[in-house]
Amino acid sequence: MKKILNKPENYVNEMLDGMISAHPEYYNLFGDSGKVVTRAKADKNKKVGIVSGGGSGHLPVFTGYVGRGLLDACAIGDVFASPSAEQMADAIRAADQGAGVLRLYGNYGGDVMNFDMAGDLVEFEDITCTTVLLADDIASAPIEERENRRGVAGMVYAFKLSGAAAEEGRDLDGVTAIAQKAANSCRSIGAALSSCTVPQAGKPTFEIADDEMEMGMGIHGEPGVWRGKLKTADQIANEMLDRLLSDMPLQSGDRVSVMVNSLGATPPEELYILYRIVKQRLEEAGATIIMPLVGRYATSMEMSGVSFTLCKLDDELEKLLKAPCDCPFWKIA
Amino acid sequence: MTINRATITTSITRLTEAMERDFDMLNTADGALGDGDLGITMLRGMRAINEDIQGLPDDLGLALFQCAKSFTKSSGSSYGTLLATGLMAVAKTLKGKTEIEAAQIGNLVSVALDQMQARGKAQLGGKTVLDSLDAVAKATYNKTDAKDIADAAATAVDTALKEFRNKKATIGRARIYAEKSIGLDDPGMLAMNRIIKALADRQGTNNNNKTE
Repeated sequence: MKKILNKPENYVNEMLDGMISAHPEYYNLFGDSGKVVTRAKADKNKKVGIVSGGGSGHLPVFTGYVGRGLLDACAIGDVFASPSAEQMADAIRAADQGAGVLRLYGNYGGDVMNFDMAGDLVEFEDITCTTVLLADDIASAPIEERENRRGVAGMVYAFKLSGAAAEEGRDLDGVTAIAQKAANSCRSIGAALSSCTVPQAGKPTFEIADDEMEMGMGIHGEPGVWRGKLKTADQIANEMLDRLLSDMPLQSGDRVSVMVNSLGATPPEELYILYRIVKQRLEEAGATIIMPLVGRYATSMEMSGVSFTLCKLDDELEKLLKAPCDCPFWKIA
Repeated sequence: MTINRATITTSITRLTEAMERDFDMLNTADGALGDGDLGITMLRGMRAINEDIQGLPDDLGLALFQCAKSFTKSSGSSYGTLLATGLMAVAKTLKGKTEIEAAQIGNLVSVALDQMQARGKAQLGGKTVLDSLDAVAKATYNKTDAKDIADAAATAVDTALKEFRNKKATIGRARIYAEKSIGLDDPGMLAMNRIIKALADRQGTNNNNKTE
């Protein structure tokens, strides 16, 4: 293992400590677990709260997106491990301003169980909760089993769109409906070139040869569609778009936002090389690209690789996407 | 035989000792098919329950609710949450009671199993901890004598392990290694084997982590 750290068991707490020290105007810790992050200034204006959570190792997902127009609170666990139900309950308590709380997170068994359990724990405190699960990774299950798909970078769009809806003052049902619409409108696929190491495991999550890539690999190294020799940027981009567009066909006149996201180690240079093909293909399909996002939005630590996310927009979603938001990783004035 | 607060604290002590002894073996079994933290999850969970043992209420429902909360705080592992879910379901049934008859055990295992199945969104027969509990529920159903119940439960978890060993994993992270999982005990079933045997005080009979 070659990582900049002190003790593996302190990885997450020290990371949060540093993150909050660097951005005290944005973040604060809540409760006694040390792993629940809230907005530094909770505006108690009775808006709907939005919480997310999951394992560490994906910054800016999840905690990075706590901020105005985005999330209210997050519970995070150890690297690639679900936070406890009690931590999630704390995040819900922190986010609650009396108008109910939306739980918005990726479809992973452990997170689902713990967020459900957290719901049981806050039930007695008169906090109303709803749930929307992100299941945007098209490589993780066929479209007929969409509900079994895992959640990946598409959750960033869901945070943004529902966050803007909550900021507008919509009620819990309204915010939940927007989150569900956002979740339904997103499709993602990833491709990995190298592995990553969970600090407490000390060795790479999976092995992959220097000249190989894996199409469709999940953000924790879940097996993908195929593994083979590394292809060119244009070939990779074309295949990823083929898969996305066959899962969610676009028609002439459609508006779509697209995220070209680094899984961690892949530099922006390579993302822009890929973006040429993304733009070309989406325009060939007749779609208009709205606010493309190119950069590190949802990562797997030092994994090299890329994910593409398409988010189909209507008037309502386009307006919410362009609404102001403010966190250290994403600002729209 | 009746079950009261004292029975619970004795069981907690026995189970914590069992996990201190077995956590490494459970980590290894889990490492073959998952992320290798099941033993440490169980150990942390039992230590957390054990730390709060002095303040355990006489009300069996409140006592088990406290155990569930202690376990939940210690870890976010799905397995821990599933166990806590089962404990909370039983706790709800027992609220207000300070003692129950051993004869109720079979029924309480079913109560836990139903709620765990709902939370885990899993079916029976999938080679999971649910299959171990199902075997225990069936084996203890209608039994009234504490000794018979303990014997039946300990035998049932052994039989379940053996019956499922050569099946494929169908759920959770182990599903990714479906082919590899054939011939290996499901780590969650293995942990439940040790839990039930510790609770039943039938630990002399364990030789189940060896493939026969």
